[in-house]
Parts: sequence; C-alpha cells; structure tokens
Amino acid sequence: MRFYECVFVARQDITGAQVENMAKNYTNIIKNEGGQVGKIEFCGLRTLAYPIKKNKKGHYVLMNVTAKPEAVAEVERQMKLSEDILRYVTVKVESLDDNPSPLMQQRSFRDEKARSSYDDQDDVVENTNESPRSE
Amino acid sequence: MSDETRMSSENQARVAQLVKRQFFKRRKSCPFSGPKAMKIDYKDVRLLSRFVSERGKIMPSRISSVSLKKQRELAQAIKRARFLALMPYVQK
Repeated sequence: MRFYECVFVARQDITGAQVENMAKNYTNIIKNEGGQVGKIEFCGLRTLAYPIKKNKKGHYVLMNVTAKPEAVAEVERQMKLSEDILRYVTVKVESLDDNPSPLMQQRSFRDEKARSSYDDQDDVVENTNESPRSE
Repeated sequence: MSDETRMSSENQARVAQLVKRQFFKRRKSCPFSGPKAMKIDYKDVRLLSRFVSERGKIMPSRISSVSLKKQRELAQAIKRARFLALMPYVQK
C-alpha cells in the first residue's frame, strides 16, 4: 500500500452533484481493489489559468488515496476515458496531509497576483496591466 | 607636504573600505531549508507564484537564492501546477 494524492479537473458544464458522483465512483474502484480513500476535497468551480478544450473554468477535486499501484492505474485509466475530465494528476507522496489543502483557500493565480503582498512595488504596475486583460 | 600625502593615503583607505562594504552583500539563505522552512506543494499557487517571473517563467535560483536541491523540487511543483491550469505557462 502506498500513499497517493490524486487531483482531477472536471468540465465546467457538469453539476456539482455529478462531480461528487464521479469521485464516489473512483472511491468505489479503489475500495474494490482493497485500498482506502482519506479526505476528498471539492474545491468548486475555479477559473483555469488557460482555457482547456474551450473550458474557462473547472471543478477541482483532490483525493487522498492509500492503495496499491494497480488500483491507481485502474482509476487513471478510467479518468483517461472519461470525457468530463480535463486533467488528472496522481502523485505518490510520503505521507498524507489531512488538513485542508491550499487549493481550498486560494482562488486563482490572477486574483492572487493582483492582491499579493509578496511583490511589493510591482503591485501598482501589475494592477494597471491587469484591468484590460480581465475585460 | 608629508602631511598631505598621509591624509590622501588615509582617505584612500577609507574609500577602499567603503567600496568594499558597498559591494559586499550578505548571502541570503534558501527559503525552503532551515528551521522555519516552507513546504513546497504544487497546489500552493500563492507560494509558487513568488518564484515565477511576471511572464510566468521560473525564476533562476541565483536570484531567488533557493538551494539547488529545492530548486529542482520547486520547478517540478510549478510544472505540475501549470499542467493542472492552476498557473499559466505564459502570462502576457
């Protein structure tokens, strides 16, 4: 048994309930193979940094998985076949973190950039550059 | 005459010292190593965006003073974030 973090991005047109169903589906696959699913985070509809297949937004879901590699391979195969999934990433990790991930707290890259406190002087310039882009 | 020359040599020494001080910069330490290190996570867009240029390129470690080992980790995390459309590949 190994620890995995699985993130997938679903199409913007499907409903939240459908996304939850998908997650449940994958959970069942893993459980059938003798694995476990820890926390599942539904990060909601987030703006993508760039359009993927004409989608500007996507449902982000993060799953913490404890399973055998075969189970993960099966889930990845299913995700590859699914038309509703734009992107998926499964990463092997040393340990699983049960705290809410930064995905839950932060909005999108652009929003962060605009009101980020880290880049100090660039901020003013950034904002002026930002406004025409968002229109 | 001898007084003047001594003065100038003293001055020179002072100037040299000033120049030295000006060009000496304290080496900043890696933000990901040490006791209060941050954890590199591909989902933490706010953290990663600090190590990316305005254009969206990964900053060289000689500027951000990230250690070589952590820079490799950081680059991997940024690339993962890009793939998941959490961060842009290019920002115009």
